[in-house]
Amino acid sequence: MITPLLADTTFVEASWVMIVKSLIIFIVILSIVPVVLLAERKLLGRFQQRYGPNRVGPFGALQPLADVGKLLSKQGFRPKGAVPFLYEIAPALSILSAVLVLAILPFGDVQGGVGLYGIDVPIGILYFFAFGALAFYGLLLGGWASGSKYSFLGAMRSAAQLISYELAMGLSLLGVVLMAGSLSLVDIVKAQGEIWYILPQFVGFLIFLTAGFAETNRVPFDLPEADAELVAGYSTEYGGMRFGSYFFAEYMEILVISGITATMYLGGWMGPGPSWLDPIWMLAKMGVVTFFFIWIRATLPRFRYDQLMSFGWKILIPLATLNILVTAILVVVI
Amino acid sequence: MLEVLFFLAAIGALGGAVGVVFLKNPFYSVLSLVVHLIFLAVLFLLLEAQFLAAAQIVVYAGAVMVIYVFVAAYVGGIEEPLFDPIPRLRVLGPVLAAAIFIEISIAVLGSSLVALGTEGASDLEAGFGTPASIGLLLLEDFLIAFEVASLLLLVTAVAAIVLAGRKPGEEGVES
Repeated sequence: MITPLLADTTFVEASWVMIVKSLIIFIVILSIVPVVLLAERKLLGRFQQRYGPNRVGPFGALQPLADVGKLLSKQGFRPKGAVPFLYEIAPALSILSAVLVLAILPFGDVQGGVGLYGIDVPIGILYFFAFGALAFYGLLLGGWASGSKYSFLGAMRSAAQLISYELAMGLSLLGVVLMAGSLSLVDIVKAQGEIWYILPQFVGFLIFLTAGFAETNRVPFDLPEADAELVAGYSTEYGGMRFGSYFFAEYMEILVISGITATMYLGGWMGPGPSWLDPIWMLAKMGVVTFFFIWIRATLPRFRYDQLMSFGWKILIPLATLNILVTAILVVVI
Repeated sequence: MLEVLFFLAAIGALGGAVGVVFLKNPFYSVLSLVVHLIFLAVLFLLLEAQFLAAAQIVVYAGAVMVIYVFVAAYVGGIEEPLFDPIPRLRVLGPVLAAAIFIEISIAVLGSSLVALGTEGASDLEAGFGTPASIGLLLLEDFLIAFEVASLLLLVTAVAAIVLAGRKPGEEGVES
């Protein structure tokens, strides 16, 4: 049976295949999140000349489980000044917007009648931007509805930061889209058969990665939750699993940005070996980018707020525009 | 399936729109406008206008509304009176409202009602509503109109900067 689809897709499958696929992608990525969490704490430890977690389980491997257990068993607490409904729904929005993007990450081409991706839509990368834009509401509503000054300031910072860096992010990806001639992520990976776009689009790659750090509120752009000034920014008033949701959403978003980076610039699923290795290659590339995220966190200090703004508007956006101009001219000439 | 989705989206869009007008707190008004815009994007998807749906979310819910929310969060929180008549508009307001109502009624009676009983266009050409087809329309067939519109937006942006940015040395501006 073919399901009626709301959008054109290049490849249509039976609906049960789609459901199974979605479940597999979700479960795999979901089980990677705690691994990333542990890897981050372990690596940070090594970067800082200490061991990192090593008490729970062998080599501290059960630490994330212990953390989740602790968060789950905590009381669901709402501060007095908080707005009931919005306070509760905000962390869920954050997770939703990150998880939905997983649908378009390609882990391989069509193999044995099944496309190794959630769905391949012609609007492709725009889908990522649509849900990236909605991620903002999770942070802002959480910060605003908490009824606390620190939360509110954190939310406002995240709003300003998100608007500033979303532009640079979109512009930097346009170079790739121009070269591939398609918005679809599957087509973009296929277009990288000869050369990965990290080489011809190196400037775009740097801009995208920088903007990616800003979008995920990671060091050096973690001003929305700058702990020295704002306690914990938008998540100050959250505890228990609601705080856990924000935490989870942050790592999910890191994985999503890593996935988009791997797809757009690092050749996606392409790699030597038989075709069944494709998803492994994709996951490995995501891992490399995620490692880079952690490395940067251990290396760079936090920006000052005015530096953040002038860097975004006066350096990144003009540079990204120039990158598109040069790419467009080269694409037409060659 | 499609019918259920249509009614869900339509009710959501209408509810959001009603909320914008009837909620007293400006912050909630803005949020309900966001809800309205998202459901509108679902309606676009139902019409096979996928690019438009994505653009709707990216541009409106993702950029324009972020600024609205930003401002409302800063200065909002005050319960505004629902109906606060401005003397001069007491006459003009109802007249304009009636004009818009008549205009929309003519449009609805003229086209939408006729299409209600039909199945809709079944022979959509392949690639309808995709970025490629919209790009061809905007940059080949309607290039001049497209460029005029972007020029207009550019003028607005420049005007906004001129209005907002006062020169140094003016009153209330340091150096």
